[in-house]
Amino acid sequence: MRWAGLAGAVFLAAAAGRVEFRNVAAEAGLTASFPNGGNQSKRFIVETTGSGAAFLDYDNDGLPDIFLVSGEGGLSRLYHNDGNGRFTDVTAKMELDRATGWGQGVCAADYDNDGYTDLFVTYWGQNHLYRNVRGERFEDVTARAGLRQDRVRYNTGCAFLDYDRDGHADLFVANYLKFDPATTPQPGANPLCFYRGLAVACGPRGLPFDRNILYHNNGDGTFTDVSEASGVAAPDQNYSLGVVTGDFNGDGLTDIYVACDRTPSLLYINLGKGKFAEEAVLGGVAFDADGRAMSGMGVAAGDYDGDGLPDLFRSNFSDERETLYRNRGGGEFDEVTAAAGLARNTRYVGWGCGFFDFDNDGRPDLLLVNGHVFPEVDRLGIDIRFRDHAILYRNLGGGKFEDITASAGPGLAERQSARGAAFADYDNDGAVEVLINNQNAPPTLLRQTAKTANHWITLKLTGTRSNRSALGAKVRVVAGALAQTDDVRSGGSYLSQNDLRLHFGLGAAAKVDRVEIEWPSGGRQVLLDVGADRVVEVTEPRP
Amino acid sequence: MRGISLLVIAATLAAQTTADGVAAFGRGHYTEARAILEKAPASDATAQTFLALSRAATGGCDAARNDLTDQFAHNPDAAQRRLAGIALVQCGLAQNRMAEVWPALDQLQKAYPGDADVLYEVAKAHRKGWDDAVFQLYQKSPGSFRVNQLSGEILETEGRYADAAAEYRKAIEKNPAALNLHFRLGRSLLLQSHEAANLKEAQKEFEAELALNPSDAVAEFEIGKILQGEQKAAAAVPHFEKAAALDPNFAEPLLELAKTKPAGAIPLLERAVKLQPDNQSAHYALMLAYRNAGRTADAQREKAIFDKLNRPPEGEFTDFLKKLGEKPKQ
Repeated sequence: MRWAGLAGAVFLAAAAGRVEFRNVAAEAGLTASFPNGGNQSKRFIVETTGSGAAFLDYDNDGLPDIFLVSGEGGLSRLYHNDGNGRFTDVTAKMELDRATGWGQGVCAADYDNDGYTDLFVTYWGQNHLYRNVRGERFEDVTARAGLRQDRVRYNTGCAFLDYDRDGHADLFVANYLKFDPATTPQPGANPLCFYRGLAVACGPRGLPFDRNILYHNNGDGTFTDVSEASGVAAPDQNYSLGVVTGDFNGDGLTDIYVACDRTPSLLYINLGKGKFAEEAVLGGVAFDADGRAMSGMGVAAGDYDGDGLPDLFRSNFSDERETLYRNRGGGEFDEVTAAAGLARNTRYVGWGCGFFDFDNDGRPDLLLVNGHVFPEVDRLGIDIRFRDHAILYRNLGGGKFEDITASAGPGLAERQSARGAAFADYDNDGAVEVLINNQNAPPTLLRQTAKTANHWITLKLTGTRSNRSALGAKVRVVAGALAQTDDVRSGGSYLSQNDLRLHFGLGAAAKVDRVEIEWPSGGRQVLLDVGADRVVEVTEPRP
Repeated sequence: MRGISLLVIAATLAAQTTADGVAAFGRGHYTEARAILEKAPASDATAQTFLALSRAATGGCDAARNDLTDQFAHNPDAAQRRLAGIALVQCGLAQNRMAEVWPALDQLQKAYPGDADVLYEVAKAHRKGWDDAVFQLYQKSPGSFRVNQLSGEILETEGRYADAAAEYRKAIEKNPAALNLHFRLGRSLLLQSHEAANLKEAQKEFEAELALNPSDAVAEFEIGKILQGEQKAAAAVPHFEKAAALDPNFAEPLLELAKTKPAGAIPLLERAVKLQPDNQSAHYALMLAYRNAGRTADAQREKAIFDKLNRPPEGEFTDFLKKLGEKPKQ
């Protein structure tokens, strides 16, 4: 009787279009806290930027597992998805308990094409590449793979991508700046170490730039640094953080967009033959509409307006707008933040973000998580806070969004100093959940308790001629009048990794008319009349 | 022969005295330098210059003043001339002889442009002028609304926007008809908080400023920006239009109008860059407008201008900041 009553309540909520996200992290078993520097004050910038979160299915059981990156003093942890709404900490069992330090970002892909998704974790310090050994353990192969760095670097966002379409996942690693605690000025040491009259951690302004890195996958388990030869190393006046990949100019090659802090963001256009050209300024995605460099943190790509082109969203600092760039085609974008209804929330420092269709109406919605870099800001007693809530924008169609945070449930009202955010339908029920890495606190796991009656489909792509993770595959889903596109990509959000599977809301359509896939190898595949409300595995046809 | 030897010895001793005095000055041991150099012959120009500098550095500005003035004007050595000029300025500042300080600073800036020590003295002189004026204002007219206005402006520079707003309110209470107070209050409110209620309050203050001064183009512009931030783009347009009409040299309203009229953006933006050739935002917007119109060459030209304007300023402080965090070279 009690059960029936609860079911009825859920049905009524869905019928009324109510949105309710709850934080289910504790009941899911995600109770460990992830340290990241000071809570009352921060001495150095490295305490402000970590850390990321990831959904990846490391054991191929069809259920996305969780990886959370830790700052100094803690352990980055892997949690197995038990399939009953609970996760079990398998960090030690999977031999991931040996690396400590200032963990920053995470990205995942099957770099060795053995059928198991591998992990790459960035650090201020030395990065780590973990090879997934048959889903039974992870092996640190950083040195063997040629990814040991010659010096301490402040690595941040990362993404695997097959930029040369040779069937092997290459690796892009963003670098923030050169940081050495021995020589970095103390809070208040110079005019760039103040925020609203408070002495705070110095930087990024005033700290030396570094440059980004592109590693080519040699196909034999090793990588070669091709940053210089590819042109990726050329921009060297940027503080790089979040990374997202996609074919932004529609030429079939995977490009790279990097959100940069206090400096122009970067758009590396893939020219083919292993070369990239940085074209963010003329592309219209380096600055805001007034030509001002923002403090870019996280970045998401998605076709929010259904025109078949990937658009970009970037989270920024307080006193700045978030930035939505609409793709005009040909690698050109317009900043449409205000016109889309996203210009009001200017008091937050935004980080992890993503397009996801939480109500399965076929229009990608948008969520971003927030939290200031300086805990000291709380002393001011103003409306900018170290811990703040996430923001959920519902996509209204017609290029417009509506901020529905206040009516989207208690999970969105919780205040944390959030950083990374990752998206996945971890229980395969058709509703996408959000994993958030909070500084010095347990993570947040946002799950919808009021489900929509709309239909959905999730596609898991496996490359054969293409790289096994199908990175760079473009998918178009047509269901009735709805046509949507998305790409398989690693990285994204803020230093985080979303589920590699693609989720599409289908509205009232109970089946998909067409699924069109453009594989990175150049092959095309079309599936017709695919049933909805399920996960569909698609393997690239062999020649 | 013996007489010549004695002369050589005397000259050698005098040169040694000067060298010792200059070395002591270089170490920052000014009292020691002064004592040594007072024994140097009056004919030794270098000794006399450093004696004057040592006197100035040890509180003997009165004794040093004439020599410093003379050395600053006539010393053939540019480095010594510079030191004499700086010491003259420092003495002038210490003795509140500002009428002598400013001409000396003008001369120094012309002779040594970009010199950090000279610019430091310039900054000190301006700060002294500021301090003196503020002291007089607070002492002689403590009840004036100007005291509150100035307090508000100082608090604003410190990022204390709520306190600044409180001072502006006090100033308005004392002199409701004074221009610019409502504008400053509105701006402080905008900087203080992003809440909708605050935006409304700020809008009221800009409207109050306009009631006092209907020709205030910036207040009109700020109202447009608030409406734009509230997603009321159509309501913002008349305010931008009015701001542009009130001040034909005001480029920012043209930029906002260009955003609302993509088809007619290029003429507006071309006008904006003509009005303000160094306006980065205008060049950026014009670059994109050309790009969108397919005028690639024009877009590239604007990009080149924008890139040049957007380049971080070079200079000692910028270099200093760039080097922060780098390990010292071994």
